[in-house]
Amino acid sequence: MNLKKLFTLTALSSLFLFQSCIQDEALNAEADILNCLVPDSILKADPQISNDRIIILAKKSTNVTKLAPEFDLTPGATISPASGTVRNFTTPQVYTVVSEDKNWSKEYLVTFNRFELPLEYNFEHAKLVTVGKKSYYEIYEYLDGSELNIWASGNPAFSTLAADRPANEYPTSITDDGKEGKGLKLQTLSTGDLGAMVNMPIAAGNLFLGTFNSMIAMQKPLEATQFGLPIESQPTYLEGYYKFTAGKVFTNGAGDVVPNKKDIADIYAVFYESTPAEPTLDGANILTSSNIISIARIENPGEPSDYTFFSIPFKVKPGKTVDANKLKNNQYNLAVVFSSSRDGAYFSGAVGSTLYVDQVKVITK
Amino acid sequence: MKTKLYITTILMLVFTVLSATIQAQEDRNKGVIISALNGLHYSIKAGFNVGGTSPLPLPAEIRELKGYNPTVAISIEGNVTKLFNPKWGMTVGLRLENKGMKTDANVKNYRMEMLADDGGEMKGYWTGNVETKVRNTYLSIPILANYQISKRWEIKAGPYFSYLIDGEFSGSAYDGYIRDEVPTGEKIEVSHAYYNFSSELQKFQYGAQVGTSWKAFSHLSVYADLTWGINSVFDKDFTAVTFGIYPIYANLGFAYIF
Repeated sequence: MNLKKLFTLTALSSLFLFQSCIQDEALNAEADILNCLVPDSILKADPQISNDRIIILAKKSTNVTKLAPEFDLTPGATISPASGTVRNFTTPQVYTVVSEDKNWSKEYLVTFNRFELPLEYNFEHAKLVTVGKKSYYEIYEYLDGSELNIWASGNPAFSTLAADRPANEYPTSITDDGKEGKGLKLQTLSTGDLGAMVNMPIAAGNLFLGTFNSMIAMQKPLEATQFGLPIESQPTYLEGYYKFTAGKVFTNGAGDVVPNKKDIADIYAVFYESTPAEPTLDGANILTSSNIISIARIENPGEPSDYTFFSIPFKVKPGKTVDANKLKNNQYNLAVVFSSSRDGAYFSGAVGSTLYVDQVKVITK
Repeated sequence: MKTKLYITTILMLVFTVLSATIQAQEDRNKGVIISALNGLHYSIKAGFNVGGTSPLPLPAEIRELKGYNPTVAISIEGNVTKLFNPKWGMTVGLRLENKGMKTDANVKNYRMEMLADDGGEMKGYWTGNVETKVRNTYLSIPILANYQISKRWEIKAGPYFSYLIDGEFSGSAYDGYIRDEVPTGEKIEVSHAYYNFSSELQKFQYGAQVGTSWKAFSHLSVYADLTWGINSVFDKDFTAVTFGIYPIYANLGFAYIF
């Protein structure tokens, strides 16, 4: 027996020894709603399931007083009220999921939204989301007494990397320095050592109509930003106020300095058809998909130091028309996107770039 | 006649050289023999370490060990044994050794914490794979009680004390997800995140050692020792790994007895 054989034998027998020390699997500690089932006939789009919230965009005609959504859960977890319980969703309803090991529980707020997409945004409402010691702003709209969570940002991903800091030092926050009342403040920030470790050296402040999928934010950051919500009329103009200061040093996705490059803010809106193959556009195709009907974008926003009015037309792509039936059937989406660094999705930009936005309006036909 | 003289001269020369060699050997052995008469015996040992720097018992969070490599971890030791009577003695040694391994494990809901120098932190529960590489070099002093079972068999047991000369504890978490802060927190998929806890390794390490040796020849024996670390390899205030991690190694090799 040569030394190498002896070595392999020892290694194998040790592995066996260790393997025999493996204990029985602990019960699941997670308490997730993995899937939410409601009749397809009432849906405008697939239910949006996030970590502690489910938003169901329902058709206007839906009777929400007697609905019995069903849920798929983490194996072994339980939910109360039970899956399939008939409840009145005139107001959002809370469900509590308890993990298999009974040590962890999570409350989900389930909302049926029957509203038409609001088209005026004044950025007056934000609440603090707290995870552990960290808190960040989540911006929402307020309509007829209910909160509408139509806005999403990359704040949840930033919070997992950043050191402790106040909520107004997150990329996306609300500010008292609005055009009128409060306003939206987006800033490009460094993600620090941990961010560099995962090749995401900066985070641009962003806010968009749609959802942010934190789960894939580190692996597929472009796909994590799911842009757009159903709209029932054709947009013609995007209007509002903004001001912008570019950060001093521009860096690329690798974190290297790009000399003499100026950061540019981004304000745009995309009106697109939601097809079964491509129901939602994301960071990878929001400006290039063949589903796009029209785009409104400030090409050269410059660096206005005071709030400056903008009114940009939606430019219809050649050969594209809008089908009235499809509009009625919620087959078109609108994405409105703000970012403090135009190439922020690729982690290029200048730390310190700051964009303020307020009093935004989408004009429709 | 001439030839006879020649042969005699050669024989005498050979004898002189031979006797000189024997003389030198006797001088050297004299020390050993005098020592032996005083109950002191010297030996040198050379071997390799096979084992793990691992939580103990393996926590339920570890679901599968997909790979294990003991790496080439060598030890050399010089020691002296004082015999109090034919059966009992005491051994004190000085050992330079590597304790290392590479593992690839699958874990579920493994509590971890990562703290960057700039204050950035990532805390939560990891489900996925963890690769670990340990390579620590220690200067160790074993102090062992010694018992002669038979002419050839001997057993030893006692404490050892180690000083870390150089250490590495690094690896990566890959193909899995972390739940932010708590198992019900935001789920974030991660393809690869590297870690290096080398600077958090404890300088002093102590533990228990038990072993046996078998005298194959009058000067050569084979031995097997087990060293079991009692304090964790990490500092007490180190929180990234929530289990105590202990070095548990078998040391196998040969000893030359003077």
